Amino acid sequence: MSISLWNRCLEKLETEIPPQQFNTWIRPLHAIEEGNTIKLLAPNRFVLDWVEDKYINDISKLLVKLSDKKNISLNICIGSSNKAASPEKVPSKIAKTEASSSLVPAFQTNNSKENKKNRYSVATRLNKDYTFDTLVEGKSNQLAKAAAIQVVESPGTSYNPLFVCGGVGLGKTHLMHAIGNHILKKHPDSCVVYLHSERFVADMVKALQHNTINEFKRFYRSVDVLLIDDIQFFAGKDRSQEEFFHTFNALLEGDHQIVLTCDRYPKEVSGVEERLKSRFGWGLTVAIDPPELETRVAILKCKAALENIDLPDDVAFLVGKRFQSNVRELEGALRRIIAYSNFTGRPVTLEFAREALKDLLALQEKMVTIENIKKTVADYFKLRVVDLNSKRRNRSLARPRQIAMALSKNLTNHSLPEIGDAFGGRDHTTVLHACRKIDELCKTEPRIKEDYTNLYRILTT
Amino acid sequence: MNLKQPSQLPLSFGQTELFSFEHFVAGGNAEIIKRLLFCAAGSEPETLFLWGRPGAGKSHLLQALCTASAENERASVYLPLAENRKFTPQLLEGLEALSIVCLDDVDRIAGDEYWEHAVFNLFNRVREEHHTLVLSARAAPKSIRFSLADLASRMNWGLIYQLQDLDDAGKLEVLQQKARARRFELPEEVGNYLIRRLPRDMHALCQFLDRLDQASLVAKRKLTIPFVKEIMTQ
Repeated sequence: MSISLWNRCLEKLETEIPPQQFNTWIRPLHAIEEGNTIKLLAPNRFVLDWVEDKYINDISKLLVKLSDKKNISLNICIGSSNKAASPEKVPSKIAKTEASSSLVPAFQTNNSKENKKNRYSVATRLNKDYTFDTLVEGKSNQLAKAAAIQVVESPGTSYNPLFVCGGVGLGKTHLMHAIGNHILKKHPDSCVVYLHSERFVADMVKALQHNTINEFKRFYRSVDVLLIDDIQFFAGKDRSQEEFFHTFNALLEGDHQIVLTCDRYPKEVSGVEERLKSRFGWGLTVAIDPPELETRVAILKCKAALENIDLPDDVAFLVGKRFQSNVRELEGALRRIIAYSNFTGRPVTLEFAREALKDLLALQEKMVTIENIKKTVADYFKLRVVDLNSKRRNRSLARPRQIAMALSKNLTNHSLPEIGDAFGGRDHTTVLHACRKIDELCKTEPRIKEDYTNLYRILTT
Repeated sequence: MNLKQPSQLPLSFGQTELFSFEHFVAGGNAEIIKRLLFCAAGSEPETLFLWGRPGAGKSHLLQALCTASAENERASVYLPLAENRKFTPQLLEGLEALSIVCLDDVDRIAGDEYWEHAVFNLFNRVREEHHTLVLSARAAPKSIRFSLADLASRMNWGLIYQLQDLDDAGKLEVLQQKARARRFELPEEVGNYLIRRLPRDMHALCQFLDRLDQASLVAKRKLTIPFVKEIMTQ
């Protein structure tokens, strides 16, 4: 098979353009060769303008030189290989047209049954891997999961909207996809749409640009289930909020299910209109907290099982103990262990896991020092570091000091005598007592547990 | 070079950098290279984060990945975010359609609200498309002060690798390879002399190699330690 004209052109360009520029501007171009016409698709307007400005003349000359045909015509437009540009004939001179964008809008206007099905496959954007089966339940997400199951049992009627809030990487999106996948499985003809709030904004801007705002409105106001992720990103985007407000009302009136996620409670979202905030709270608001150790271990074992890896308990506990801030971090550490096992062909043992994670663990240790812990704890309780080192033993100092000691034991590799030394030359048994005391108090006093957990997160993220 | 004497301007030989895996001296980074080769072959979508000191080879590897992907007929792009002032975040639009997106120096956009949002959105779109995203930075994701917590947590999601610095033998190999690409030979003792006396990161060493190349062409002298000493003192 002969090498295409464009590929020959690429080979030549690669030797003429500095590699970095080639990789940035020429590599992402996709060429469609039709007879004497070569159509280049650029992923966005920025690349298109840059290529037109800097390279198109050279490319054009090169194509003529490499081709045996005299009249090669070259066009460049925005588009991508999986959504090829519209096939209309283009004038022989360099034409700039905006063909289909790779950002396939979730809404399309064709309503025939056949197309409706296709439209779903394009538009749902649901990740099939995120189901209730793969969602590990723990104390931290129990309530949210129970509410989600209620929603899929009777969409649109039980909790509408369902508002899920929680910090980053705790499984809000997973829960949302699980709702969507489950409803779609039960009602394959329903129109379930998942999208990130920023995508909603981007699609709306596009609809305004392309004069398809009415189709946009019609589409979103007619879906059966609308799942919008991270609505805090609506902050400050008034026009999108306005449109979302109307969409929201239309869906709610028709008993269509809405599920929203956010990094905070509805009332705490800033930059969002009051009328929207109040509507967010109409249904049920559930929070997802950071998973506790047992749940983290269960998550790791579940994710490993999905990769057909049998993760030993001691390894799962090591990872669960060391990576606490969110599930993404846990997943990252697990992936690293699996990748290293694939690379070396060795089985996963505790020793092996420590070796695989050595740079990630070293990084944690480097970042968390006793000095750093003392400073963070002092700031948190509005004390001075010298207070933590002092001999004074009144409760307002002793508790923070004990928390700081417990954190030092759990977050660094220092021995108990070393920790004692660092806190004003105390005995190692004092440190041991502090660790036990805090452990105990975490179980009985929610305030202490909250302080400890907050500090732990501050120090490890 | 002595400006008082008439000197000959050296000819530019054009392309001398070869960003491929074959031209990368692996040292302690064999696992990373194997992982990148998987990415190039499209075995499964992946999020990779490579971090290491300047000169550790991050940009080389990301561009080698683009080259290898093209050999597998997979579309890719390489974006040096250190140059973000030349671009706008619109540059990231639509890139999820490409099989592999490489963002170099992602730590440089930390704290820039627009860029952080754009990278965050690109991250989500690439995952939705089940494509591969490879990021690099001078520091581990946890040490980079992103203002968008959502972006920071995503950076920890995939495989994170620290690029290991080369030992002196590895550095010598790189220098000799680069010299050959510039069509001159770097004798071993001269290479070792450079490694012992110059800042030890590869950027500094390679920059000096360029200087040496030009100077030896102009002076029409062979690369010897006395000649190198002379150039160093200038």
